[in-house]
Amino acid sequence: MATVEDHPDPNLLGAFVEKSLAQGEQLRVLEHLSRCTSCREIVSLTATQPGLGDAVSVAPGRAGWLSWPVLRWGAAMACIVVVGTVVTLRQQRESRQIEATILEQKPEKQISALSSPPAKAAEETTTGAAKPTVTRQMARATRPAENHAAAAPSPLEMADAGVGSRFAEVPGRAKAAESQDAQSIKAAGNTAQVETSGAAVVPLVSTNLPPRWTLSSDGTLERSRDSGRSWQTIQVADNTIFRALAANGLEIWVGGAAGALFHSSDAGQHWTQVRPVANGEALGDDIIGVEFADTLHGKVTTSVQGIWITADAGQSWQKQ
Amino acid sequence: MSVFMPNQDFQSEPGVAAGLDTLIAELYQKSKGEELGLTRQEFDAVLGEIARKYLPADAAHHDIRELYTSLRSEELALARACAAGHEHAWVVFLTRYREKLYDIAGYITKESSTARELADSIYAELYGTTTRDGQRTSKLASYTGRGSLEGWLRTVMVQEHVNRYRRQRRLVSLDEEKEEGSQFATPATEAAIAVDPRVEAATDEVLVALPPEDRYVLASYFLDERTLAEIARTLGVHESTISRKVDKLAKSLRKQILAALGRRGMSRRQAQEALEVDVRDLRVNIRSRLAQEKGGGAFSKKKAEAPADGS
Repeated sequence: MATVEDHPDPNLLGAFVEKSLAQGEQLRVLEHLSRCTSCREIVSLTATQPGLGDAVSVAPGRAGWLSWPVLRWGAAMACIVVVGTVVTLRQQRESRQIEATILEQKPEKQISALSSPPAKAAEETTTGAAKPTVTRQMARATRPAENHAAAAPSPLEMADAGVGSRFAEVPGRAKAAESQDAQSIKAAGNTAQVETSGAAVVPLVSTNLPPRWTLSSDGTLERSRDSGRSWQTIQVADNTIFRALAANGLEIWVGGAAGALFHSSDAGQHWTQVRPVANGEALGDDIIGVEFADTLHGKVTTSVQGIWITADAGQSWQKQ
Repeated sequence: MSVFMPNQDFQSEPGVAAGLDTLIAELYQKSKGEELGLTRQEFDAVLGEIARKYLPADAAHHDIRELYTSLRSEELALARACAAGHEHAWVVFLTRYREKLYDIAGYITKESSTARELADSIYAELYGTTTRDGQRTSKLASYTGRGSLEGWLRTVMVQEHVNRYRRQRRLVSLDEEKEEGSQFATPATEAAIAVDPRVEAATDEVLVALPPEDRYVLASYFLDERTLAEIARTLGVHESTISRKVDKLAKSLRKQILAALGRRGMSRRQAQEALEVDVRDLRVNIRSRLAQEKGGGAFSKKKAEAPADGS
């Protein structure tokens, strides 16, 4: 290594001019230069030549942690991180607000369904009360392997299904619910008695755009969260072909073959099968049209020109 | 693989040796030495030579690694392939640097015929006109890749120009000396002026304590009479920074010398008077303390030449 006594060789002097020496070496050369007129002469003549910037700019010198380039890039990275964090937090907050809105719209229904076991609900339907009873069993997100039968989910599980599992598509438990449906359907005079069953919880993609709905040519329900650029198939019920759709805010109705009518009041997060019964006659024809002017009043048209009307969001029906 | 290891102890550590071997393999690939005709063994030898030159014998593994990583491997391979006489390497070198050699020479000498002479001379040295043990020796063999090859060429050419200038000055004829009038020049009177030894001692103390950069700025500005722009460009800072530094240094030096004189038994008034009276003498003192070599002018008339290659 060059010392004050030994002149640095042209390699070191050239590298000094280009600032490509390590900090310690750069300092040692500078120390020599501060005492050596000859080397100062050479360095000064070398450094002031035109076109040296090209060589200097590509010098792989080691920069200190507090050097300006590090600070500049560090500041840029910090800005990116801050902006990214703010955007992410904001999206999460908005997503939670949507969830809260959904849950607020049907707290009573959920609470009643959650607090009463299925057996009790079935018992209530068999009491023959004149007033129509509605039992809604909210299905929760579950995997096929799980064998929770018709047990109602805990509030914590509901919250988990509503928020935590928004991105996990899991099939519903329609089969488990169907056995109870068969027991609970009962006619009572002119008033329809409707039994609803749990259906699949569909994945909810968290976005800020209002969803768009459509039915595909093969009769599946599809939803778009990006203004129609991409569509996601929504699993409502197995092996059911849908031909009619009515979407009004969070309220979604889909109807299809053999009187299949499903309703979601939370923008497709949970689905309930509605089985219209009027004067002891159940709707069994193919549904070709579903219209809902508002949350309560709707009309279902069948393939045989039958028209079913409800004025209470599908709890009771009249056939025209 | 032992040639690139300056410390023999490293060779006994397989992991360390393997790590360096991997690094050298990467550097060799990056250098495109194979295309230039430089073999891996030659490349290894070059790296070993560089490590021995710049690092102590007991250098740590990470120091070797850091040194190797900082090298301009591609330009190093090109230079060493040229030095070894590989034709393709010379084609590449001439394509890249021939024009630049003449441009640099033109800037340094400010005169076309001298520039061509300087460039041709350097080119001959690069090609290798000198022989050592019967072998042609190329100046490119002394390039170590610490900076860019172009930067090294600039430095080598400046050095050669300075040496030529000094040789020329030493060979000045009596007639020329007579024309210049130097034979009748007044002898230097600097040494004749008596300076209070305490002032000298105080100045010494303050100057020795200065950081290298400050000493460099002072020497360049006051002794070499470089412009602020030239100093700034050498240090890679803005001209105004050097301007402020010179101003600040002058004030700071005065304060520190006053304080040092106070420590040597002078009252403040005496110290101020000493500095006021001996301003020119103090400058002479600074000159002698800052400069390792005495002698004014653009290029010193001192007999010692500029450091030769690798000295």
